[in-house]
Amino acid sequence: MRTRKSRASRDNGLFAMAAVAFGLYLCFLVLPLLLSLKSSFTDENPLRSTSGFVGLDNYGEMIHDDQLHASLGFTLILAVGVTIAANAIGIAFAMMLNRTTLSYRVMRTIAFLPQVLSGVIVGFVWQTILTQQGLLNVTLQRIGLIDSPIAWLGSPNLALLSIGVVVTWILTGFTTVVYLAALQGVPVELYDSAAIDGATTWQRFARITFPLIAPGMTISVTISLITVLKLYDVITVLTGGGPANSTRSTALYIVKLAFTDNRFGYASAVAMLVLAMSAAIALSVTSLLRRREVNF
Amino acid sequence: MTAINDVLRSRARLVIAGVVTLLFVAPIYLTIVNAFKTQSQILKSPEALPIPPTLDNLSTALARPDGLIQLGLQNSLIDVVFSVALLIPLASAFSFYISRRKTKARAAVLALLAAGLMIPPQVILLPTIQILTFFGLDHSYPGLILSNLGGGYLSFAVFVYVGFMRAVPNEIIEAARLDGASGLRIWWGIVMPLVRPATATVAIFSSLWIWNDFLNPLFILGPLQGQTITTGLYLTIGQYSVDYGQLFGIMFLAAIVPVVGYLFVQKQFIAGLTSGSSK
Repeated sequence: MRTRKSRASRDNGLFAMAAVAFGLYLCFLVLPLLLSLKSSFTDENPLRSTSGFVGLDNYGEMIHDDQLHASLGFTLILAVGVTIAANAIGIAFAMMLNRTTLSYRVMRTIAFLPQVLSGVIVGFVWQTILTQQGLLNVTLQRIGLIDSPIAWLGSPNLALLSIGVVVTWILTGFTTVVYLAALQGVPVELYDSAAIDGATTWQRFARITFPLIAPGMTISVTISLITVLKLYDVITVLTGGGPANSTRSTALYIVKLAFTDNRFGYASAVAMLVLAMSAAIALSVTSLLRRREVNF
Repeated sequence: MTAINDVLRSRARLVIAGVVTLLFVAPIYLTIVNAFKTQSQILKSPEALPIPPTLDNLSTALARPDGLIQLGLQNSLIDVVFSVALLIPLASAFSFYISRRKTKARAAVLALLAAGLMIPPQVILLPTIQILTFFGLDHSYPGLILSNLGGGYLSFAVFVYVGFMRAVPNEIIEAARLDGASGLRIWWGIVMPLVRPATATVAIFSSLWIWNDFLNPLFILGPLQGQTITTGLYLTIGQYSVDYGQLFGIMFLAAIVPVVGYLFVQKQFIAGLTSGSSK
């Protein structure tokens, strides 16, 4: 009994630090989440001091909210397109850079650079390239490929494509690292015996490389999807959600509802929908991809 | 004959890889070279090297009366240093404490923390501001730092630490206990030195994310309370949308800290990404 007591008192300091950490987590993550859930059932508005319980009204409104549907459609297309592109390019880059000599290591270091820049800087850099008088149009006109500038960010479909390219560019550094790590875990003997059996390059990729990098793919695809679903800064800088709200992601829509329209209650309900969707997508993609992982 | 073929093939491979890598980072190349060119040089040939280079863009950016670069870098540094300096001891002490608990309690707490990795920031932004307002900490750096500490970064840090702490042998800790060492002493004196790679990973990634964060500084600090470099860029750079020289100069100066930092720690950076992804 005595030893137990003294052991407990010896752990007081550690317990205090752990408690502070957990308290901060409860206060700034769990509590906000619960408050958000609560206000999704109210008509809370910071311009009015009172807010009333409205039941499921906010959730009902989402069914008929065309702007919400448009933002969900944009976000999902972007998420799927970018995830496919960033992972396909990541696998190709990883195979290309999978050498340990100095020049390849230097290339890796350079290729991961977009990873460390903020979405705001990336957004502005690409804006100088993609705007009407931007560097891309200047160059294309100079070499005579086009006569008049193309509105890369100014028409709905091209803007979607442009944002997709930029976000893929950001994510490719991450997917490449993950696939490089996965490739390093593939036993070389498998390629040797495949070579003896006379396997073609394509067969080696399809039968050895691709199945064995599956664990890397699970994490890479999940993170890519989650990243796009919560993307805010890059789109804000590149198009601000335009033209005509065609590139307004759900993240931008929530912020607009909350801070421009002051509709806290409805913004919270939309936030809950996005949270549920992110969780559902992440969980189903993870379990789906897990099934095709090969373990040694 | 095959030997010569192999050499040629690996040369060709190297050249192709080099060209592809350079094309991929072309936007970064454009930012660097054009930061040292005049507007007319940029429009004439954006891809050309800056010959002769001009420092006008950089000095104009540094001489701005609003101190966008200097104040922005200073504020970002304050935000990152205080957040990470508090995050690391809190997260690692918490991880050590929880990794010594019974399996069920540990699993429950870790599951609750896992939620923090999944929650999109805009879902909790609004109530976070309300909570900070309640404590009188809205529009302040302490408020921003507290929400950094409590938000998703803690989940990330705890997951990294718990993974590494599993590898710390129980015998060492029990031996120290028998010698009468307190929990705090064991954590700081024995565990922390053993999980240095975890600390490096947490420090690198949380610094980068907090430095690059946009939504929290924008809405928690508000426009009048001193900008971080990220929000400062967003709020002021719009007016320069046609002055490319100025734009590239400002972006060059804003990007140089994370890029130089990355080049210094790129080995640990890549190791961190990989250890996080292979679970």
